[in-house]
Amino acid sequence: MGDRRSAPATGIALSERAPQELPTDIDRREAPATPAPPAAVEPAAVGPVEPASVGPGERATAPAPRPSALARRARRLASRAVTKSGAILLLLAAWEVLPRVGVFDRVFVPPLSEDLVVWYGLLLDGPLPEHLRASLIRSLSGFGLAVALAIPLGLLIGWYRPVADALTPLLEVFRNTSPVALLPVFTLILGIGETSKITFVLYACSWPVLLNTVSGVKTVEPLLIRSARSMGLGPLRLFQKVILPAAVPAVFTGVRLAGAYSILVLLFAEMVGAKAGLGYLILDTQSSFRIPEMYAGIITISALGLLFNLLLLRIERRFSTWRTT
Amino acid sequence: MTTTAVTTKIGIRDVRKIFQVRDAGEPFVALDGVDLDVREGEFLALVGPSGCGKSTLLDLVAGLTAPTAGEIVIDGTPVTGPGLDRGIVFQQYALFPWRTAQANVEFGLEAKAVPRRERRERARHYLDLVGLTGFEERYPHELSGGMRQRVAIARSLAFDPDVLLMDEPFAALDAQTRESLQEELLRIWDKTGKTVIFITHGIDEAVYLGQRVAVMTSRPGTIKEVVEVTFDSRAGDLRADPAFGEYRHHVWTLLRDEVAAAQVQERKAATSRG
Repeated sequence: MGDRRSAPATGIALSERAPQELPTDIDRREAPATPAPPAAVEPAAVGPVEPASVGPGERATAPAPRPSALARRARRLASRAVTKSGAILLLLAAWEVLPRVGVFDRVFVPPLSEDLVVWYGLLLDGPLPEHLRASLIRSLSGFGLAVALAIPLGLLIGWYRPVADALTPLLEVFRNTSPVALLPVFTLILGIGETSKITFVLYACSWPVLLNTVSGVKTVEPLLIRSARSMGLGPLRLFQKVILPAAVPAVFTGVRLAGAYSILVLLFAEMVGAKAGLGYLILDTQSSFRIPEMYAGIITISALGLLFNLLLLRIERRFSTWRTT
Repeated sequence: MTTTAVTTKIGIRDVRKIFQVRDAGEPFVALDGVDLDVREGEFLALVGPSGCGKSTLLDLVAGLTAPTAGEIVIDGTPVTGPGLDRGIVFQQYALFPWRTAQANVEFGLEAKAVPRRERRERARHYLDLVGLTGFEERYPHELSGGMRQRVAIARSLAFDPDVLLMDEPFAALDAQTRESLQEELLRIWDKTGKTVIFITHGIDEAVYLGQRVAVMTSRPGTIKEVVEVTFDSRAGDLRADPAFGEYRHHVWTLLRDEVAAAQVQERKAATSRG
């Protein structure tokens, strides 16, 4: 990953990409017909790494199934569902059974069913919706702002060599500085209110979007650019009709990673200093020994993360159906 | 070439192309003193050893790069940049993977600002011409190599260029697909009357397709000889025609020394690099 991160330095800028000054182009060998899509670039600065939950890419050309085939397909789907959910079911079962048989202390790890009952209670007439709302507002605003700022900046860096040259050293410094380390600074400058938390999320979410966008623009197949140029496209049209659509899948990968980070890092901010939010709920319930409520908070956060990722994955798929992988 | 009744479409006049290699001291001379006239409506095949600058020459005609010296004229006007009067077909198809076959063919028409409805119709027409009716809505990754190249050919024909520049377009295809596409290309050429420059490293392909075969030397590339290829009849299995064999052998003889020279160059380059 390290070499990919320093892309602006080693990558190919447009001026070099154009074939005129590349003598190797003369005796170019057969290249693979389809370029490998750029891999996702994840900044390591933020805490846990998001588990790659990419499902099997469904081909757009599935022949219309006949009734008998339909049954077979249903069976296959069912068996796949069992395989896929097996580990999760096992975990849930262990969570339910182990405290009951005394492997874990029921006080510290109450059985799942008890946690769920408490969770339900908190959701219906408890503080959970309020905490959830507070967290969602923070993470969504931070995430939305990050996407809105980082995509244009990434396009600019990826496309204009001078911008890349000027900003790369600075970006390298910040990218390798953990957002968590900067949280106290945000708090000092912006106070303990919403602004500092949203800025914190914004900061953490910007990196995956920015880096993936830059790499998406830089790794556009040079042949496509040549082809478009041969049809008389100027720089602006080239960007609009070739660079931008080619970079879309990479950009969305970044957006999806940012979605995960937006929740991960927010929790941290809420645990350090907040009066509402899921992070606050979890820490507060733990310190006042309301353990089932703490688990309710954890379950909520986990479900929220999963849902958000699923939603972004859907959107990503929609915009990159043409990608062959 | 002596210009008789036929008019010259593309004139390549004493063209020289030098690349500045970044780390190496001496400049890289790709082409030196290339002189070639391509006639209006002609199918010219260009063969040469690998690394002789065939593709560089094509880039120059396409206007993607400018010659270091000499000039290239089309209909008497010097080439100053790329334009829709020339269409290129690349070996690796260069289709836009996010566009369907139809939308790929429409690409050049969009650049030409053709109205939407006309774009649709023309794209359909040219996809039909290359035998891809019914595949309009497929994405490139859903098509075979041969089909992709057909789309690429349709795309280059759709904006109606006078000149078609083809850079080893069939090299990545299997033998059967290649043969059927060669045949089809001749049919399309016959029907549309385009001037074609077809780069290949296949001698058979050059003799089969070209009305004339221009043989290039090894680097620095220049034109060694232009062979006129005429058959009494193209009916039946042309490749089995004794005349075909003679042309083939002639081109092969011209190429043999050049290929050997190119290999020596390559080896030298490899050792100096290592």
